[in-house]
Amino acid sequence: MAGLFRSVIEIISIVAIPFILLLFLGWGIVRKVKVYEVFVEGAKDGFSVAIRIIPYLVAMLVGIGIFRAGGAMDVLTSVLAPGTGLIGMPAEALPMAFMRPLSGSGSLGIMTELMKVHGPDSFIGVLASTMYGSTETTFYVLAVYFGAVNIRNTRHALPAGLVADVVGMIAAVIVTRVLFGI
Amino acid sequence: MLNYVWISLIVIGILAAVGNDVRDEIVNPYRNGVPIHGILEGIQDGKPELKSWEGMLIVPAASFNAVYGTRGTESVRVRVKISRGAEGVGMIYVPVGHEIPDIWKSIAAQGQTQERLNGTILELREEDGGVSFVLDPVRFVKLRAVTKAALDYAGTAVTIALGLIGIMALWLGVMKVAEEAGAVKVLTKLLMPLTKRLFPEVPPDHPAVGAMIMNISANMLGLSNAATPFGLKAMEELNKLNPKAGTATNAMCTFLAINTSGLVLIPATAIAVRAAAGSANPGIIIGTSIFGAGCATIAGILAAKLLQRMPPFHKDDPDLAGKEESRGWPLSLRD
Repeated sequence: MAGLFRSVIEIISIVAIPFILLLFLGWGIVRKVKVYEVFVEGAKDGFSVAIRIIPYLVAMLVGIGIFRAGGAMDVLTSVLAPGTGLIGMPAEALPMAFMRPLSGSGSLGIMTELMKVHGPDSFIGVLASTMYGSTETTFYVLAVYFGAVNIRNTRHALPAGLVADVVGMIAAVIVTRVLFGI
Repeated sequence: MLNYVWISLIVIGILAAVGNDVRDEIVNPYRNGVPIHGILEGIQDGKPELKSWEGMLIVPAASFNAVYGTRGTESVRVRVKISRGAEGVGMIYVPVGHEIPDIWKSIAAQGQTQERLNGTILELREEDGGVSFVLDPVRFVKLRAVTKAALDYAGTAVTIALGLIGIMALWLGVMKVAEEAGAVKVLTKLLMPLTKRLFPEVPPDHPAVGAMIMNISANMLGLSNAATPFGLKAMEELNKLNPKAGTATNAMCTFLAINTSGLVLIPATAIAVRAAAGSANPGIIIGTSIFGAGCATIAGILAAKLLQRMPPFHKDDPDLAGKEESRGWPLSLRD
């Protein structure tokens, strides 16, 4: 069942882009849109949007980079490690929970490391990969998306994103514990 | 909110770096300034006239363990380069290779020159090749890392942004054609019952809705290359409805709460890493990830809807400000 689901989704994700291109551009031809001219007109914005997000991305990535390089993560993990038992999370997985919203490459590194040490099919290995798949790099997404429209007062976007992250991490622990736990 | 989080990241990062470096200074894990005693082989062959030469350095296990508190049983044997200075003292260079002890590797990794360790010779006895030297001190490891991270990540940000230009252009072009052809309208009509509830502030047939749908579907299929351009397009469209430039609307926050929850049907990266790590069943996490991300998405939407009514966020609501102004005018005229 899971195997079938997986292969169906994989096929969809392979055909998706050519299909969307064909569908939308074909639709344009049918509706007598001057596809080439309109495409170029729309594509023009690509440059300015990409350039606009640079300052936001620099601010965010430098902040996260400094936080990671200073070794604050180790301090944070050791302070909070005793509390992780309450939700049934092994302390080893705590850095993953902290890193996931901050940095994609950082959490990828932690996941790889945890699998190397504990094995990919161990409880911690499955948990780490589930945590990786259970949420996104909130800070990066906020910087890029708000940066594209020059929004500086982000209101409740960050708290809402972090609530989602915390719930995603806890849900990952619970589901892994129920299905693969000891 | 983001202001405080951002400055906290930087302040905590730097304070942690200072704390770690002060601790290193006290504990001295790299044994700065502690002399290492060993033997240089081949010095007896009589080369007093040479300014520099290569030789084999042997540090007996006991002497190495005494310095670093390690428990190794084999003596360290590495080829080193010696250069003699004016007054008998000289320098010793240990090239970093696989044969050097791990602690030396980490010292080299922290130092200025990563490919070799530099040391100062304190004593070199010609008669039996006995040598004592101290390695260059390793200091401010974390502060140096902070400097490097700040500079590196600033560059990374630009690399990422520039890398987006082409894909952005491609998808924005396709979106424009789809819009003119009316394809986006059909798509938005299909999902109208859902989007009306999620984004009550956005007119259900607005192009923003189409772009948001495209973004979320692309994300779910794991097509992150296509998802970002659609998402940024959605933000631009949402911003056209924003009466107050520079402040996020409720719809933007809800949209990003969904987006940052990262609901993906196939977590391809995690599966690839599991496969590479030799998992017997790499795809086993598909179900658990969908469950985790599904919970995150629901929680994110609920949190966004709840938080938008909370006083600190409610008072900045751009849509609210717009309404109050339009309501406020006639009132003030009546006065």
